[in-house]
Amino acid sequence: MSQIAANHPSPDATGLSDHDWNHRLERIASDARMHEDNIHLPKSAAAKIGRPMLILGLVGLVVAAVGAVSINVAHALAGIEIGLFTVLAISLGSLFWTMVFHALNAGWSITLRRQFENLASLIWIPSVCLILIAIIEVMSQGILLTWLDPAVREGNHLLEVKAPYLNGTALIVRVIVYAICWITLSRLLLGWSRKSDETGDRTLGRKARFWSSFGIPVFALSITFCAFDFLMSLDYRFFSTMWGVYFFASCALGSASAVAIIAALTKSAGRLQGIVTAEHFHDLGKLVFAFVVFWAYVTFSQYFLIWYSNIPEETMWFTARRAIGYDWLFKVMLLGHFAAPFLILIWRPVKRSPKLLAIMGAYLILMIVLDMAWIILPMLTVNDASQGTATLPGHLIHACAILGVIFTYGWFVTAKITKSPLIPTKDPMLHEALAHKNYV
Amino acid sequence: MNPKELISFVADYFPMLVRKPAPKYVSESGNRVYGMVAEFHETPKIYHAAEIVRDAGYSKWDVHTPFPIHDMETAMGIKTTKLPLMAGGAAITGVIIAILLQWGTTAYLYPTVVQGKPFEAWEPFVPIMFELGVLLTAFMCIFGMLALNGLPRFHHPLFSHERFYKVSDDRFFIAIESTDPKFDPSETRALLEKAGGTGIALIEDED
Repeated sequence: MSQIAANHPSPDATGLSDHDWNHRLERIASDARMHEDNIHLPKSAAAKIGRPMLILGLVGLVVAAVGAVSINVAHALAGIEIGLFTVLAISLGSLFWTMVFHALNAGWSITLRRQFENLASLIWIPSVCLILIAIIEVMSQGILLTWLDPAVREGNHLLEVKAPYLNGTALIVRVIVYAICWITLSRLLLGWSRKSDETGDRTLGRKARFWSSFGIPVFALSITFCAFDFLMSLDYRFFSTMWGVYFFASCALGSASAVAIIAALTKSAGRLQGIVTAEHFHDLGKLVFAFVVFWAYVTFSQYFLIWYSNIPEETMWFTARRAIGYDWLFKVMLLGHFAAPFLILIWRPVKRSPKLLAIMGAYLILMIVLDMAWIILPMLTVNDASQGTATLPGHLIHACAILGVIFTYGWFVTAKITKSPLIPTKDPMLHEALAHKNYV
Repeated sequence: MNPKELISFVADYFPMLVRKPAPKYVSESGNRVYGMVAEFHETPKIYHAAEIVRDAGYSKWDVHTPFPIHDMETAMGIKTTKLPLMAGGAAITGVIIAILLQWGTTAYLYPTVVQGKPFEAWEPFVPIMFELGVLLTAFMCIFGMLALNGLPRFHHPLFSHERFYKVSDDRFFIAIESTDPKFDPSETRALLEKAGGTGIALIEDED
């Protein structure tokens, strides 16, 4: 027994001797692919895409703000939230993938991991916006979240029972807690990853693995309750235990799609040659494909069970949308969010081509926007029948707000990418990712 | 699949249905010649030998190793399998059967009121569409794979070669079949020798 213990390395011992580690670092540093120009994106190259995005984004936000003042606050806020939850899904999903890669000690994904870390560390933008939105909602006694309205709460038994969870103070406290969890986790992971670039400290990965393992349950709980707070409680009568998973499907799908776009664009800018290859795109494409199917599975299961059991307080979520003419959106998503990408992404050459995968990624992010619109937009009419279905100016405000949020976020992404090398340059398993190959 | 391939495919499973063509090569004892094997001792050697045989233009040959060797398919010049397409076809067939079966029966042939739901509602069909699609895909994957491999079979001529049994221990073999258009007893032997093979032997088909 004692002999086994003696032979077993202590948890702090490194698997590789210092000599071997230095040898490996030298070998990676002398690799032609690790040339400075190949793993750094200069600011000018990023600005080529970033500046138009910033201009478009700001124009969109300004139009939305004008619309909010002159036409309707609720429509503008709905549009902002649709964009914001798409962006939040991308950032949250990136945090999830980063933690999963660390927890599973994944080798192949290391050359893509920096982009996941970058997107995850931008989570402060949607988090701060969500805190602001929560404060605005509470101050104005419910724009979209009608359960904050005292007139609605008055004598409403359901809201009296749900009051310990559904009240303004608790909402703001919860959003701040989510924001702290997400920002802390993403900043720690990006910080360690960047530090290892400079110091070559190979024990940082172990630290990241330790905290990722704890981070995953924190992530699961926080996104579930965040989706409850802002998306499910739009209709305070409705409940679905699948709701958190439904939002998670968009997170995982959106972030993998976003990284496919970023990787394809950096490759077309002449970077990451031989570092992110068709093999990496193939595996990333498999993740995108898997979560297209996962989204369809979760969404359909939720709808299917509600349809079959036919309980009024659940079915009214769908019947209300059908009654005011949003049924077409569900059918569009059935074909556009599942059937079409399923039949396209199932082909091997599509997953292995950076261009095609990036196009599919952009298309799927558009589908996530439609998904969020399907959740948020009909509630304007359902909660306040006097609003009627949105007319053209209303839809214009939505479109401008959504594009405004997404393009502004896109500018932040382009600015973030230039701040560090495009890959973790001294990761202990970088050699695995550089030699990655799919044998199927 | 051209007719010749189809006949050889049927012959794999129902030898009584197909008359075997006259043997191209006959050994001294009068038996049909199955092919020629060469023995190798190391992984890199068999890998490069496979490249040499591939470049010589042989098509009916195989490499036998104690364990899977990564990238052997490129060394042998094997094309990607058609199995995914076959499985995809099976999946679509399964989904279509499920739609026709349920929609035909519940909406037309035998409409029954269940929980007051519409007869032609598509929602309850989906799980069956999924299940039947998966079932036929799984069948096609298994049976299609066996058919493409020519499995199962009771015997293989290579088993008559005593040394071949080392293939499950520490030897690597290349076997070139006599039905290959490029097969020629002396030329093939010379090629295998050039590729570094030892213990080159002619294998008889003893049936």
